[in-house]
Amino acid sequence: MKHYTEEELVERYYGSGRSATDDRHLDECEQCSAAFAALEIDLAAMRPVETPEKSEHYGEQMWARVQAAMPSRTLREAPKSRLALWRGLAFAAGCGVLITVSFYGGRMYEHLQQRPVLDAHRRAPDPVPQQKVVVVVLGDHLDRSERLLVELKHADPSNPELVNPLTEEARGLLAANRIFRDDAQREGDPALTQVLSHLDKVLTEISNRPAGLDAAALDQIRNEMNADGLLFEVRVLRSKNPHRNKAVRVAARGGAA
Amino acid sequence: MCSMSQGDGAAIQAVLAGDREAFGELVKRHSRMLFRLAFRMTGNEADADDVVQDAFLRAYQKLATFESRADFGTWIYRIAVHCALDRLERRKQDQARQVSEDYDPEDGGVQVADSKPDPERLAISMEIADLQQAAMRGLTAMERTAFVLRHVEERSTEEIAAALDVTPNTAKQSVYRAVQKVRRRLTQLKVMA
Repeated sequence: MKHYTEEELVERYYGSGRSATDDRHLDECEQCSAAFAALEIDLAAMRPVETPEKSEHYGEQMWARVQAAMPSRTLREAPKSRLALWRGLAFAAGCGVLITVSFYGGRMYEHLQQRPVLDAHRRAPDPVPQQKVVVVVLGDHLDRSERLLVELKHADPSNPELVNPLTEEARGLLAANRIFRDDAQREGDPALTQVLSHLDKVLTEISNRPAGLDAAALDQIRNEMNADGLLFEVRVLRSKNPHRNKAVRVAARGGAA
Repeated sequence: MCSMSQGDGAAIQAVLAGDREAFGELVKRHSRMLFRLAFRMTGNEADADDVVQDAFLRAYQKLATFESRADFGTWIYRIAVHCALDRLERRKQDQARQVSEDYDPEDGGVQVADSKPDPERLAISMEIADLQQAAMRGLTAMERTAFVLRHVEERSTEEIAAALDVTPNTAKQSVYRAVQKVRRRLTQLKVMA
């Protein structure tokens, strides 16, 4: 007589693979019947634990959480057909060619018209370029960093429209992050220094990819984030750091002011 | 898996047309269902909240790829399964870092909760939830997910396979391995008690 394996008994327990012959065997065979009863007892001990009941406002509370972490841009529907995609690409290429021709045409025209003026200017000392300075608050910096990390975590590498802005955002955060980190180090705040150093590493990693973020790069960065729980650390800092109102001045195009 | 609401389709179209607030309707409608699933998978209320949030964020970013003929409830359910799976894997990694002594399920020992270092006291005072948590502690994230979907959520093998993006045979094997490990652990816990 062929007895049931444990795997077959598990299948039977969950209601798959039943037949009249199987039922008869289980009724007649003492060994299989005992094994099945033992399985039922064990699995009964694993009956569902009561789930905490959430209030009817849970959806609204969750929406507030989701909304706060949502990317700022709105979604656009994917092109319905390949034809629409090609039309869009052709239009973009046409615009690109037009802009390039206009640009070089204009430059050439200016070059021919203003050569004597440029020569005169070349002798004069260059004026000091005006740099725009922005004030960044630590709390806002951590908010933006958290949003970036969340977006990075869920980014779909096959969609460059979603992924490419992340590189720009990382570059925008880098300068302020370094100033905050140096300040924290000077002021002897090891927890903040450690998180900002780690964040610096990830931001640098993202920023230094001029070709954009492909699947492999995203995986590597996500692994680094996951390994050290960076997102968690940033969230903790964001909610608990006493210096979250601290502000620094940052040059809009990188570097401290 | 889940019944499709008439309003889901309209809300999705509105979100894709640029109305972010419309996404709130979907969140409010499906949050409680996802919380139940997430809690059963993670066994922890705070983690379950985070899973629900992650699932909606992921869904928002991928909404443009959502097939309008599909059921949003089913789609978000699968996303939540993956989010919970990610969280379980991450929790496993964190625990592996925090606990200095490695636990080998083959060596016959019993891993106990970190906050209650005395195994005998733990076994004696163990409530059902603790017992279940202890029994499931040796499972991989995939096994735990497959087991919860089968045993608690009562999903079919095909539904589990679809939710986990694996073949039905892999899903079935994951459930079987989970049951085996759970039973082995229960036997050990009974001996201790």
